Amino acid sequence: MFGYYLRLALKSCARDPGVTALIVFAVGLGIGVCVMTLTVYHAMSSNPIWWKGERLYAVTMDSWPPERPANSDQPSLPPTQLTHADATYLFHSSIPTRRVIMYPVAGVVMSSHESKPLKVASRVTSSDFFSAFDVPFLYGSGWGAQADTGAEPVIVLSHDINGTLFGGVNSVGRTIRWNDHEFRVIGVLAQWQPQPKFYDLTTGSFNEPEGAYVPWGWSRARQLRSSGTTRCWKVETIDTFEQLVGSECAWVQMWLELGSATARDRMQAYIDTYWAEQRKGGRFQRPRNNRLSDVAQWLEDNQVVHSDDRLLVGLAFCFLGVCLLNTIGLLLAKFLNAAAVAGVRRALGASRGQIFNQHLVQAGLLAVAGSFLGLALSLLLLLAVRALYDDPETGGGGFQALTHFHAIGIVWAIALALLSLLIAGVYPAWRIGRVPPARYLKSQ
Amino acid sequence: MSFLNVRPILSALCRSWTGPALVAAQIALTLAVLVNAIYIVKQRLEKIDRPTGIDVDNIFVIRSAGITDKFAHEATIRADLVYLRSVPGVVAVTPIDFPPLSDRGNRLGVMLKANDQAHGVRTSYYEVDDQALAALGLRLIAGRPFRQDDILSPRSGVGPITPVHDVIVTQSLAKMLYPNENPVGKTLYDTFGFLSSPATIVGIIDRMQGSRLSSDSADRVLLAPRLPYPDEPVAHYLVRTRPGQRNLIMGSVEKHLQDSSSDRMIEWIRPLSYFKHRSYLADRNMGIFLIAVTVMLLAITSTGIYGLATFNVRTRTKQIGIRRALGAQRADIISYFLIENWLVTTAGVIAGCALALEAGFWLSRHYGLPRLDLYYLVGGIPIIWALGQLAAWYPAWRASRLSPAIATRNV
Repeated sequence: MFGYYLRLALKSCARDPGVTALIVFAVGLGIGVCVMTLTVYHAMSSNPIWWKGERLYAVTMDSWPPERPANSDQPSLPPTQLTHADATYLFHSSIPTRRVIMYPVAGVVMSSHESKPLKVASRVTSSDFFSAFDVPFLYGSGWGAQADTGAEPVIVLSHDINGTLFGGVNSVGRTIRWNDHEFRVIGVLAQWQPQPKFYDLTTGSFNEPEGAYVPWGWSRARQLRSSGTTRCWKVETIDTFEQLVGSECAWVQMWLELGSATARDRMQAYIDTYWAEQRKGGRFQRPRNNRLSDVAQWLEDNQVVHSDDRLLVGLAFCFLGVCLLNTIGLLLAKFLNAAAVAGVRRALGASRGQIFNQHLVQAGLLAVAGSFLGLALSLLLLLAVRALYDDPETGGGGFQALTHFHAIGIVWAIALALLSLLIAGVYPAWRIGRVPPARYLKSQ
Repeated sequence: MSFLNVRPILSALCRSWTGPALVAAQIALTLAVLVNAIYIVKQRLEKIDRPTGIDVDNIFVIRSAGITDKFAHEATIRADLVYLRSVPGVVAVTPIDFPPLSDRGNRLGVMLKANDQAHGVRTSYYEVDDQALAALGLRLIAGRPFRQDDILSPRSGVGPITPVHDVIVTQSLAKMLYPNENPVGKTLYDTFGFLSSPATIVGIIDRMQGSRLSSDSADRVLLAPRLPYPDEPVAHYLVRTRPGQRNLIMGSVEKHLQDSSSDRMIEWIRPLSYFKHRSYLADRNMGIFLIAVTVMLLAITSTGIYGLATFNVRTRTKQIGIRRALGAQRADIISYFLIENWLVTTAGVIAGCALALEAGFWLSRHYGLPRLDLYYLVGGIPIIWALGQLAAWYPAWRASRLSPAIATRNV
């Protein structure tokens, strides 16, 4: 029966190609715009390391003065980074399974003395960075904890920087100059591009991860200042790096991997105890606000999804709504125009249910055609969005990856096509089934 | 032809109301989106068009970074400035810690009393030299510019730093600190120790936008007379050229600067307009997206109106023939369909007004947008009416061309 209905549907579509094209176009446009905004929204709001949702925590403490919060837009939140003193103290706790202490730094890399210097955004971090964030390696591996304290001259390169410097070959063991100092390459990452860049949202939520990683010990050994944000509130003299290290300025980022809920509670208690001790010494004069935020909470607190993006998803669905209303009207007109045929079929013995099914198949066919068109349109629209955000500095500001067409887009297109069919197809098909056959038989 | 005709039209509409109701619903949604979208776009455009106070079009920025331990930061800046100022076509050059109008830059809290954190005013802080006003194209409205001997050495990060004594501030910052007095010669304190306690305001500039243009502190700018050292051996040079020569000079200075020392690299040379563009990219793209979707909505809705009118004409062919045979003019037929369309559109517009206000209210509550201005609603209604009449015109005209003889035939 289905094949027969399908043949009837194709015939009917061929009878008035104009209306058919209009319907497919309206459904396609609606689905296309929706899939495009949803793809961008999904990429923005997704948790790129969801499998560690219960284990990874960003550490923040409210070290700001009592007069004002760190962020006047979100007064309940502590600053997003820690002071150097707090971060290094917490780093020595034995409760976490893995400890990451880090900040971004500016880097200039030369593969040999003569080669042209290359600016490479870098990160000074502790050895657990790679295991805590499940960073994949193509060659070699990260460094051990002893490299952090001793400031061993070892460096890990990203896949792309290894490509630029060494043409993509295994460069483990080779020597490069990083910020005018010799480093030995001990690891090369595989492609790794968490979107959003959850572990450091201070320099653009969708920027590429850094191109080079050096052990934490180099922070002090080379007096590296953060190339991200350094926020200070206290009037104090900060002429030298050592003064910055001892200051109330917040510029160090910390993440912990805590194996269980118990470990999490113990860590929270550990931080609170430290906080209380420091408070007695005159620091931390704001109400207690020491946080261990999991990745989802962290992304939400940092407002990675801009309110504009939510608005756009709403707008896209409004648009789909209008497209579907339009489609209902067109389908109704199309079916009623051919009511005489349905009348004859009814007179020849077809039941209302059969007429309904037949027309629903027809609506379904149009919805499927519409969703194919919608998918194609959404690809074009994503390319357009990418062009809109094109930027020489960050190579698309991360939108390059954000606008990659995901399988999720196809799932959405199918879901939206079904939804369209339900909304736009059922009523016209039901209406045509209710048409009394006698009326049409009489006028023949 | 009179409006007495409205009654039969209404009763015909009531008889088969689904099609018209669908079109009215489309119109309602379209009006709600149209009005709110235009309102949001207008706000974004106003934001982008705010005056910067800076001669953006004739300025470019060079970023130079020391890359070896031998790099001499201050000497390089001085040598570069001498060279850049000697290039023909250059009006003025200043070193600066970060390019203005970008999303990076130092921010400093300033206040009238020492340690009065609670009353700190957040400002954009820039380190520049004595050519800053000319290089940025700023207008001094009171006091004096920086002099050559005001300029301090960079904060190099190794030894004690001489704090800044004299500052130039924008009018909006000066008004905030000293609303009722002449601010020139008055003092201020900072939260960071960048300035001496206190520093003196020596000059007021009319207007300048600093960093993070979406924040309310964007036009509160404080200029300090110091060679820049933004936490690393990096300097930005802001070069203002004669009108029309920017691109030419941008292309010609890189080689000389790059070749002058192997201890540094010229990371990039960009027009200042690049930073402004980048700062407003999200606003611009939101505007483009809103306009594109609204235009598509209007197009889809007009096809809906057109489709409904065509369908009505087709199903009423026989009646039209009868009316024509009984003496109705072509104009009567046209006006029948146009009035019918107007009734449907108006029903949609009424529902749309309610929807638009509701949406505007919801947006202002959840997204902090200002409340929808009623003028926009009033302006949106004629657009929708005109759209409806235009879309229905062709089917109505076609109906008027039907021959009266059609009434005698079976259709």
